[in-house]
Amino acid sequence: MAIQIGIGLSTEKDTLQAAQAAVRQARINIGAEKISLAIVFSSIEFAHQSFLNTIASLLGPVTIIGCTGLGIISNEGIFKHGIVIMLLSLPEGVYFNSACVKEISAKSTASAGKELGENLLYGFKNIRRDLSVIFADGLLRDESGFLYGLQQRLGTSFPLAGASASDNLAFKKTYVYFNGEVSSDSACGLLWGGKLNFGLGIKHGWRPLGKPRYVTKSSGNIVYEIDNVPAATIYQEYLASDLSQLRKELKRISILYPIGIYLAGEEEYLLRNILSIEDDGALVFQSDVPEGSPVRLMIGTKESCLAATSQAIDEVKMGLRGRAANFVFVFESVSRYILLGRHADKELEIIKEKLGKDIPIIGIYTYGEQAPLKAVNYQGRAYFHNQTIAILGIGA
Amino acid sequence: MGEYLINILGMASLLAVIALGIALTYKMELIRQLQATVNNLKRSLDEMDEQSRLIVRTDMELNKTQEELDKKITGLYALQRLSRAITTTLEESQIFKMIEATYLEDLGFEKACAFLWSETEKKFLLQINIGYLQGEAEAIKSSLDLNKDKYLELIKSERTVSSISQPMDASLGEEIKGVFKVESFIISSILPKEGNRGFLFVGTQRLDTLINEGDEELITILANQLGQALENARLFEKTWRTQLDLEKKVEERTRDLTRVLNEVKNISNRKTDFVSSVSHELRTPLTSIKGYASILLTGKLGDLPPEIKDRLDKINRHSDELVHLVNDLLDIARIESGRVVMKREPLDLKNVVDKVADLLSVQLKEKQIHLSSSIAEDANTIFADRSQIERVFINLIGNAIKFTPQKGKITVHAHKAQNAVQVDISDTGCGIPEEALEKIFEEFYRVDNPINQEAKGTGLGLTLVKNIIEAHDGKIWVKSKLNAGSTFSFTIP
Repeated sequence: MAIQIGIGLSTEKDTLQAAQAAVRQARINIGAEKISLAIVFSSIEFAHQSFLNTIASLLGPVTIIGCTGLGIISNEGIFKHGIVIMLLSLPEGVYFNSACVKEISAKSTASAGKELGENLLYGFKNIRRDLSVIFADGLLRDESGFLYGLQQRLGTSFPLAGASASDNLAFKKTYVYFNGEVSSDSACGLLWGGKLNFGLGIKHGWRPLGKPRYVTKSSGNIVYEIDNVPAATIYQEYLASDLSQLRKELKRISILYPIGIYLAGEEEYLLRNILSIEDDGALVFQSDVPEGSPVRLMIGTKESCLAATSQAIDEVKMGLRGRAANFVFVFESVSRYILLGRHADKELEIIKEKLGKDIPIIGIYTYGEQAPLKAVNYQGRAYFHNQTIAILGIGA
Repeated sequence: MGEYLINILGMASLLAVIALGIALTYKMELIRQLQATVNNLKRSLDEMDEQSRLIVRTDMELNKTQEELDKKITGLYALQRLSRAITTTLEESQIFKMIEATYLEDLGFEKACAFLWSETEKKFLLQINIGYLQGEAEAIKSSLDLNKDKYLELIKSERTVSSISQPMDASLGEEIKGVFKVESFIISSILPKEGNRGFLFVGTQRLDTLINEGDEELITILANQLGQALENARLFEKTWRTQLDLEKKVEERTRDLTRVLNEVKNISNRKTDFVSSVSHELRTPLTSIKGYASILLTGKLGDLPPEIKDRLDKINRHSDELVHLVNDLLDIARIESGRVVMKREPLDLKNVVDKVADLLSVQLKEKQIHLSSSIAEDANTIFADRSQIERVFINLIGNAIKFTPQKGKITVHAHKAQNAVQVDISDTGCGIPEEALEKIFEEFYRVDNPINQEAKGTGLGLTLVKNIIEAHDGKIWVKSKLNAGSTFSFTIP
């Protein structure tokens, strides 16, 4: 028997009514008695303990995992306000384990990653491990370090996909859901194993523009100098504006023209969004930019964005090697939502067109996406991405 | 030999030097060429980078324009939906509740409140609050109350002010930002023609949200619509209240009238009973009087001197009239009280008219009056009580004869009118004065004219006729022109 899936969606304003409506709909759609797992994505206003309590009490002892975002994605559409719940009933021979690590900022990010990895592996001794899916607070400072720690435990080439939670672009607080708890400064994950098929695609569609440059001085996620001048100079030159103007329009600039790190052998550059600009012209990115990296200014259009979606699905199909996916996860950058604007729904159309119009889809808008790089020299290691759409098709 | 060798070596080295020189020159040329290519490439790259800058700047402009356009379109959609909700709300308390956070978000703001100034309470009343906690909203309210003059001035100015426009007093803009805790704002007056006026505030804390004139326009439109909706709601409320009052009054009046009507009915009933009993009481002595007078007139009790006989004749005649009057009164009373049931049967109208003409032939002949009748085929059969209808004709034709001079004409005309048969009895008599037309069907009413002064009559005939017709569910009316004749019409359904 295949995986049984039921998706429930609600755009009710009242938290409890929304939770009840979505669970009810998901239950009707799944049609199975035994529920193994519930994935919950919601817009930020639902990040209440009572919301999760309601879902937990309605579902009983079922693993609940998920996070908040700028908006939610489901087969029925993209909604800026709402919740979407996916209930899964797994067939025999498919296993999963779940874990959560909290108060990450009190630990080193790498050790927090290791902790999550260890907890995920617990009890997975003699079972084939397939894939890990993680949901993390979108405002973690050093997400690459966290990924590094996690991969130290799960294996550097172990397939991994993840979403960094987002809020309503206030960048104030994001939340992850784990069982009965809503928490920030934490990350939770699923480790899947057994007879599971999956395909993972990750693309952004941004193209390099202008001269190639090199990061001449950086530390972690702060880039001090590019081509031996203060890093912000590149933006000042390109946009003909001073620091204060850049700061004022930072959100727009960061989304429209991120920095791309050239990775030998990769089709696309690895994108990095700017979080802030320091007074000395240093750029603070959402994740690490190693010293010596060749970097370019990147530019994207609606068309290239949508083409990337299509390419990502092709990668999913390749990964599935002809087998069908039962459902699809979409982890998509908030930047793309903003860039696509009123055309955001088109992306959903592309997915349905390529993977089947009735395929269950559940997704969330993110501040970052985790997925492996493809080229052989990266050995399938997962990286932290910005501005990207990660599509994960799973079948069993 | 040695020298020769040296020479050869020397020559060779010289050649080598020359060759080297040539090669070097050649290489130098190559290097120069390469250098030029590199320089060209570098220049191209720089030019390309220069172009990239142009591309980025243009792209940025394009994106900004697109963003503004998107914002405007979204805002317009939101405004349209909001307008529909507002304009279809007729309850004042519900109007402001139509402004929902999602509409506001589409308009590009996350905070909004609306205040109306209460003239009676001398304070601002909060109508809606989005994006503020209870305590925050109260703090804003008290701040408004404290500086009420400034804000009342603002409302009075009927202007829209915002963080980008220059309010009349520059410090006010900063003050509003402080009071409402926002970075950008728009305030527009809500101005219904009557009642409390106020303003709508929308704002955002986001630094990157740039408001423009377009936003100002949208919010002004929204505020205007709120004003219009308030006006409508208040007007509706007023109309509604007036209608309620009216309904209440109508109800009261109806109750009064019903009471009066019942009284009148009671009185009328009592009158009918009285007339009926008095008539009965009168009939017994009248019968005796008439009986005795008749006995005396027969001469059985001895011969009477002509003077007495003459007087007795008068007694007898007057008694007859009195009996007639009493009978009419009794009939009217019976019909009014509903004690007489009309025995309705199909009647041949022509037959009835002929019979009545026969009865009245003496009088007709006496005044040489010509009575003619034209009865339509489909109006010939009526459903009525024979003897009562005969009385109607006797009375009406009798009256006509009475008031029509010698050689006059009387016509009886009958035709189908809707669901009834209408009978018109016209004469060429003296007619009825206009002021009397309404009263002639009243009991004991007699038109004041020379004929009436001469001719005898009880003033009960037409009342009886009217009662009979109405007991048949018909109607009776009269049209008349003085000195030209009258037409009495009645219908029998």
